[in-house]
Amino acid sequence: MDTDLPERRETEGLSQEALAEAVGVTRQTINAIERDRYDPSLELAFALADYFDCRIEDLFEPPADDE
Amino acid sequence: MSDTLHPTIETVAGSPRRYKRVVYSIFAVGIVGLFAGMLFDLPLTGTTIYLLGAWIGSALAALLPRVSDATLVDERDQAVHRRASGLAVTITGVAGITVVPALYALSAAEVVTITQTMWGAIWMGSAFFLLWGGCSFYVDRFQ
Repeated sequence: MDTDLPERRETEGLSQEALAEAVGVTRQTINAIERDRYDPSLELAFALADYFDCRIEDLFEPPADDE
Repeated sequence: MSDTLHPTIETVAGSPRRYKRVVYSIFAVGIVGLFAGMLFDLPLTGTTIYLLGAWIGSALAALLPRVSDATLVDERDQAVHRRASGLAVTITGVAGITVVPALYALSAAEVVTITQTMWGAIWMGSAFFLLWGGCSFYVDRFQ
């Protein structure tokens, strides 16, 4: 799944660890999402969207092949 | 962003990576102890080391995530666990479906003899899939 999570996180000046702590997951999970190696659960996607005060579809986008 | 959203990461139980290293290392000590005991003809000592490793490792694996301030296990770990379990069941099932009937046929043709050890493995595999079926039913209906 495509995501602009790294850009949003860096804009906020956040480390992966800080974001992970804020949404209750491990740093490895944030890293895996940013590297497109893990698709977050709906619960985590909502938590991330809530943290960045945006909608889930602003954060995540299915790859072009899936559309 | 308020500071409350970014608390310090330092915790009593350390990082997820350290947690896994500690737990896996304790399990490894137990397993190595078991084989060392077999190798050096000290089965009681080896078994004791193995049991201590298994119990302490299991207790820490279960307790540390509960007492730690940090998130040591999360949804991705559970997803990895589910996928690994599914893969292991698939591999075991495919191997069983292909190998066991062939063994029966070869045994009937008196080409091979199914030893007690092989029968043990066949029964164990069958019991495992019976357990898996029961667990699938339970999860499907009640969880």
